Amino acid sequence: MTDISGGPAALPVSKSRRGSLLTQDALTRRRNAAEARFKAYGAVAITLSMLALVWLLFSIISVGSPAFRQTFLTMPIELPEDKLDKSGTRDPAVMAKVTTVGYAAVIQAALTKAIKEKGISTDGMTPKDIAGIVSLEAPAQLRNHVLANPDLVGQTIDFEILANGRVDGFFKGRVTMETARLDSNIKPEQLVLAERLVDAGIMAQRFNWGFITFPDASDQRPEAAGLGVAIIGSFYMMIVVLVLSLPIGVAASVYLEEFAPKNRLTDLIEVNIANLAAVPSIVFGILGLAVFINFAGLPQSAPIVGGLVLTLMTLPRIIIPARAALKSVPPSIRDAALGVGASRLQSVFHHVLPLAAPGILTGMIIGLAQALGETAPLLLIGMVAFVRDYPGMPIDGFFDPASALPVQVFSWTVRGDPGFVERASGAIIVLLVFLLVMNAVAIILRRRFERRW
Amino acid sequence: MNDMRIAERVVDSMESKITARGVQVFYGQNHALKDVDVDILDKTVTAFIGPSGCGKSTFLRCLNRMNDTIDGCVVKGSIKIDSEDIYDPKVDPVQLRAKVGMVFQKPNPFPKSIYDNVAYGPKIHGLTRNKAELDEVVETSLRRAALWNEAKDRLKSPGTGLSGGQQQRLCIARAIATSPEVLLMDEPCSALDPIATAQIEELIDELRSQFSVVIVTHSMQQAARVSQRTAFFHLGYLVEFGETGQIFTNPKDPRTESYITGRIG
Ligand SMILES: Nc1ncnc2c1ncn2[C@@H]1O[C@H](COP(=O)(O)OP(=O)(O)OP(=O)(O)O)[C@@H](O)[C@H]1O
Ligand SMILES: [Mg+2]
Repeated sequence: MTDISGGPAALPVSKSRRGSLLTQDALTRRRNAAEARFKAYGAVAITLSMLALVWLLFSIISVGSPAFRQTFLTMPIELPEDKLDKSGTRDPAVMAKVTTVGYAAVIQAALTKAIKEKGISTDGMTPKDIAGIVSLEAPAQLRNHVLANPDLVGQTIDFEILANGRVDGFFKGRVTMETARLDSNIKPEQLVLAERLVDAGIMAQRFNWGFITFPDASDQRPEAAGLGVAIIGSFYMMIVVLVLSLPIGVAASVYLEEFAPKNRLTDLIEVNIANLAAVPSIVFGILGLAVFINFAGLPQSAPIVGGLVLTLMTLPRIIIPARAALKSVPPSIRDAALGVGASRLQSVFHHVLPLAAPGILTGMIIGLAQALGETAPLLLIGMVAFVRDYPGMPIDGFFDPASALPVQVFSWTVRGDPGFVERASGAIIVLLVFLLVMNAVAIILRRRFERRW
Repeated sequence: MNDMRIAERVVDSMESKITARGVQVFYGQNHALKDVDVDILDKTVTAFIGPSGCGKSTFLRCLNRMNDTIDGCVVKGSIKIDSEDIYDPKVDPVQLRAKVGMVFQKPNPFPKSIYDNVAYGPKIHGLTRNKAELDEVVETSLRRAALWNEAKDRLKSPGTGLSGGQQQRLCIARAIATSPEVLLMDEPCSALDPIATAQIEELIDELRSQFSVVIVTHSMQQAARVSQRTAFFHLGYLVEFGETGQIFTNPKDPRTESYITGRIG
C-alpha cells in the first residue's frame, strides 16, 4: 500500500505480538510438511495406477494389433464350368451340390499354375504340402462367392485367398522355422515357399476387415475368425438394455425420489436395490436361465435373453446414480415450481429432471458400458455357443443365436490354436474401443446438458 | 425513514380474505405454531414480525399448503380462503397455489432464462393466448418488480446469473406474473439494497389495490412503512395482531413492546 515514510506524519509502528510473519513457526512447518507428504502419496498412487494402465494397454495392443492384419494370396483363379456347374444352368441351388472339396481342387490348381508361371521352385514338396499354405476356410469363401455370383463360372477371376494361420503367424513372428520343425501342422519347406510367394508378389499382408466382419471360425482356422456375429449380438443386446432400462430406470428413480412416501416399504425397496447392484452378475445369469429360457421358453443364445438378463443386472446400477442425481437437485427448485402452482409432475418434468439429466445419462452410459463388458451371465444362457450365421434384422434377429464380444474373447482364449491368442487380444481392443466411445459420449452429453438452460 | 406514514394509512377493506382459526403446526415432535388465529383482510398488506424461529415462515407456508411437501409436518385447525377451507380433502393444493402466490425467503430462480422464469407460471396456467400476450405479461411483471431496466437486454440469459437482489426481484416478478389473489412474501427484501427495497415496497403498496399481501419481515421500519396490519409472533404464539399504527405506537402486550423497542429478538 502507501509508503508510510512518504505519508504526512509517520506514525510509530506497533510490534508483532505473535512472532514474525517472515519465518514459519513450528506448527505451520508441521502442517506444511504433512500437506507435502500427502501430495507425494497422491502422486505416487496416480503414477502407479497410470503405469499399470499403460502396461495393460501396451500388452493388449502389442499382442492384439496383429489381428487387424492378415496374410492373403492374390492370384487369378480359373472357375471351370465342368467342375463347378456341370448342368450349365448357373442355378445356385444346383451348383450347391459341389462341396468345398471341389473348390479346394480349383484353388490348388490355380496355386500350382501361379507358382509355375513365376518359376518358383517347389522341389521336395507334395501337392498337398503346397495346398497346405492356404487356409482351410478358403474353399468355403470361394464357394460362397461363386454361389452368390453364379455368372463368374467359366471365367478367370482375381480372388484374395486367406493364407493358413501358421503361414500368417510366420510373417507376424509367432511361428519360426524351429517351431515349424516341431509342429505337425506346418513344415519349414512350406514357410520357405511362402517367403518366395511374398517375393513373387502373390502373398501379402494387408488390413483385415474380416476380423471385424467375419463370423467365428472353427478351431483349426484362426485366420478366418472374426467378430461379426459377436459385434451384432452385443449391439442387439445393448439395444434391448437401452430400450428397457432407460424408461424403467428413470421411472423407478423418479417415483422413488419424488413421489413415493417415505415408509418401511420404500426403505425396504431402497435397501434391496442397493443389494441388487452388488449381486454377482453370474447370479443374474442363473436367474435368466431359469426364468427366460426354462420358464418363458425364449431361445438359447439369443440376444433378447442376453439383453433381458443384462437389463436386470443394469437396472439397479442405473437407478442408484439416477436417484443421486435427482437428490442433488436443490429442493428450492421444487419449492419454486410448486410455489407458482405447478403440479408435482410438472415440477419434476419441467425442472428437476432436466437438471438431473446429465447425472442420469452418465449413470446410464456407465451402466451400459458395464453391461457391454459383462461375460459371466451370458455364459449361462448359452451365448458362448459357436455361431457362424449372422443374426437377422431386428426385431426377429433378437431371437436368432448370436455371440457377444466379451464372450467371444473368453471362448477364443480357451481354444488350442495359438492363432487365437492374437484374436482374443484383438477382440479386447475392439471392446475397449467401444467402451471408450461410450464413455466419450457420456462426457460429451454431460458437457452439453450441464450448461443448457 | 418516515414512520409518520403509519398515520396516513387506513385499512380500506374490512372483508376477510383468509381466516385462520386455532392453527397448530407440528414438525414431528416440534410444536412450531400454537393456536394461531389470524384474519387477513382483502386488499391489505399484513406484516408478520417476530424473532427468528418464532414460526412466521411456518405460518406463511400453511397459507398455500407448501408445508405439505415437508415430511412429518402436521397442520391442525382451520384456514379458510373466501370461506373455503383450504385443508379440505377436496382441495387440490396445486389449484390453491395458483391463487396464493409465494416469494421465498431465499431467492430461488429456475436455472432457465429470465424470460422463462417469469413466463413459466402464465404458461402452465394457460393465462395467455399467444406469444405477444406472454411477452407483455413478462414485461409488466418485470417492470412492477423493478427489474425491467436491468433485465430487458438479457431476457435470454440465465436467471441464476443475476445478483442476489436481482434474483429476489425476479422471483417476485415470477410470483406476480400468475396474478394471484394473495401474495405471500417471506422476507422479500432481505437481500436488497435500499433503492430496490423502496421499489419493492412501492410495488407492495401498488399490489394492495388488487390483492392482499402478507409479508414477513425483520425490519420494523419496513413493517411500519408498508403494512396496514401487523402480527407479532413469539415462540410459536401469535402474541398480538392489529392495526400497524396501534402495534407500533401503542402495543398492548409487554412482549410486543420489548420486541419493537429492540429488547427481545
Ligand atoms: N422443515 C422443518 N422441519 C422441522 N422443523 C422446522 C422446519 N422448518 C421450521 N422448523 C422449525 O419451526 C420453527 C419455526 O420456524 P420458521 O421457519 O417458521 O421460523 P421463522 O419465524 O420463519 O424464522 P426466521 O425469521 O429465522 O426465518 C423453528 O423452531 C424451526 O426449527
Ligand atoms: Mg423464515
